[in-house]
Amino acid sequence: MSLCELTDIKKTYKIGEDNVEVLKGISLKIEKGEFVAIMGTSGSGKTTLMNLLGCLDVPTSGSYKLSGTEVSSLPDDELSRIRNEHIGFIFQSFHLLPYATVLENVLLPTLYLEHHQDGLKARALHLLELVGLQDRAKFKPSQLSGGQQQRVAIARALMNDPELLLADEPTGQLDSRTASEIIKTLSDMNSKGTTVVLITHDENIASNAKRIVKISDGLLV
Amino acid sequence: MDKFLNIISQSVVAVRAFKLRTFFCMFSVALGISAITIIVAATEGAYKKAYDIVARFGPDSLLVTSGGEEARAVGRFDKTLTLGDVEAVKQNFDTAYVVVPMSAVRNINVSYRDKKYQTTIYGSTNDYSRVWTWPVIQGSDFTDEDVNGLRNVAIIGKYVVEQLFGNEDPVGKYILVKNIPVQVVGVLSERGTTPTGANLDDRIVIPITTLMRKLQNETTYISTFRIRFTDQERLEQRQEEMKQFLRARHNLRASDPDDFRIVSPKEIIKFLVALTSSLTIFLGVAGVISLFVAGFVLANLFLLSVKERSKEIGIRRAAGAKKRDILMQFLGEAVIITTIGGLIGFIMGYVSSNLLKLIAEFEIYFSWKAFAAGLLLSWAVGVGFGLQPARKAANMNPIDAIRK
Ligand SMILES: Nc1ncnc2c1ncn2[C@@H]1O[C@H](COP(=O)(O)OP(=O)(O)OP(=O)(O)O)[C@@H](O)[C@H]1O
Ligand SMILES: [Mg+2]
Repeated sequence: MSLCELTDIKKTYKIGEDNVEVLKGISLKIEKGEFVAIMGTSGSGKTTLMNLLGCLDVPTSGSYKLSGTEVSSLPDDELSRIRNEHIGFIFQSFHLLPYATVLENVLLPTLYLEHHQDGLKARALHLLELVGLQDRAKFKPSQLSGGQQQRVAIARALMNDPELLLADEPTGQLDSRTASEIIKTLSDMNSKGTTVVLITHDENIASNAKRIVKISDGLLV
Repeated sequence: MDKFLNIISQSVVAVRAFKLRTFFCMFSVALGISAITIIVAATEGAYKKAYDIVARFGPDSLLVTSGGEEARAVGRFDKTLTLGDVEAVKQNFDTAYVVVPMSAVRNINVSYRDKKYQTTIYGSTNDYSRVWTWPVIQGSDFTDEDVNGLRNVAIIGKYVVEQLFGNEDPVGKYILVKNIPVQVVGVLSERGTTPTGANLDDRIVIPITTLMRKLQNETTYISTFRIRFTDQERLEQRQEEMKQFLRARHNLRASDPDDFRIVSPKEIIKFLVALTSSLTIFLGVAGVISLFVAGFVLANLFLLSVKERSKEIGIRRAAGAKKRDILMQFLGEAVIITTIGGLIGFIMGYVSSNLLKLIAEFEIYFSWKAFAAGLLLSWAVGVGFGLQPARKAANMNPIDAIRK
């Protein structure tokens, strides 16, 4: 059973009176443990696809099975639970909460767990250590460099031990050296078993993935 | 439960992070709640005062006064009650354990040595102190013999003591009442002023027989009498019986109005509450308006905040927050702010109503009720006006929220 199985996924956005079809029938399988890069030009629908993969949005038509479960028609609360337990997001502009500390940001997904778990703080500190920020736990995001902020975001994405890590141009705002460090961190996570989907339009970065999927104008090529 | 606490902890963090919003919301809620606090305390004060006065009047008492409503309205104070009425009431009402006639004469010159003074002289039987539950603190009440013998004896109020005697002990001394020498036998304890401003301690009480004969030149008519019943719980029924009894005695036809008036504790409360209620209504309207203003300030600042924090909302949703988690967080922020605002408002109300008490001699009484009303209303404002912004936050599309 594939981790993600998309069959003829279509996504249409309504802009005013017009319907814009952004994804025009995408079929894609991602296996457990894969490291996939999704490439495409700006506006080709990469982020839209990632939002669907991450259950942040539902397709207009088509089927999406996540670990065998059809999720395209699940209620909102159920999608939230899936995001919380199974998915980690990493965004281009980090998206940390500015008024919370590094540690609090890493702990964010644990706030929404339905059941109490022990040792969350220890795990968060461990993840910070993993991304090399153990001594920055009490800092505010604004006191960190871009690369450091993105590593906090990675720790946050990993906090609830997700099966699927989705990174939307995670290095888009970083210099090439910092970028390769971030990609290395993602590779490390992948080698420990996490499935990683990396969106980028940088060939170099994509070459780190084991498989590259190209999207153009809403269709895979 | 864990999750609930987690979410509320996020509310606390946000309340502390967005200080300006917190300040303005808290301030406006505090203003509204302080007004409400004053209102509740003032209303309670008015009622407490009313009940105090009733307690002194006697919850088991009726007061019957001469002259009907209509005669009073046109300024006539005819005397219609007689000593015969008093005797008849004594005979016919089994549960009336005290029936005491009273008359009063105003503006009588009294003097002691070289000190002169004008006051009201009340005539009563020997039970005056008992009937009014008004203790004699020096000397004693007068006796049956004093009343039957038309003796020139008096018990006097504290204020009269101050005016005529200063620090001197008045008991046993003679004063001149309209040139008649009268011996002071007792002093009444201090009672203060009525809500209408009359000084209760400014009085001299002498046997009613003495008053009628020597000051009024009167043998029959009295101005009022007072009855206390052992069956207090049937006071309303007794009042009605008294009315019919007196109407029959005075030979009134069915179409005639009463030529007397019966005052009961209930009417006293009505009167006293009416006296303070206009101010209470004014404050009440002001309080409700200021709470609404506070609510609108809160709703608008929160709507603005939801807009500004859409990215935060998107981040939380991506991390797995459900709609109701977001709703709870924003509602939590509103309720935390209004609760603290309410507590500040309560303190402000407490301080300013004490000032009001000093300046306006306004009766204020603080109990848990003022506190509870403030707290409940601040929650109501928090939930009532925080709900719409919180809903808006919860219903944001996560993708749109995060893109902003
Ligand atoms: N929520 C939305 N509402 C309306 N239109 C949208 C929405 N999200 C995306 N679009 C449109 O869909 C198209 C694809 O957008 P998407 O963000 O998926 O592209 P992308 O491949 O991620 O581009 P980029 O590399 O610039 O991030 C664009 O034309 C965009 O304007
Ligand atoms: Mg994109």
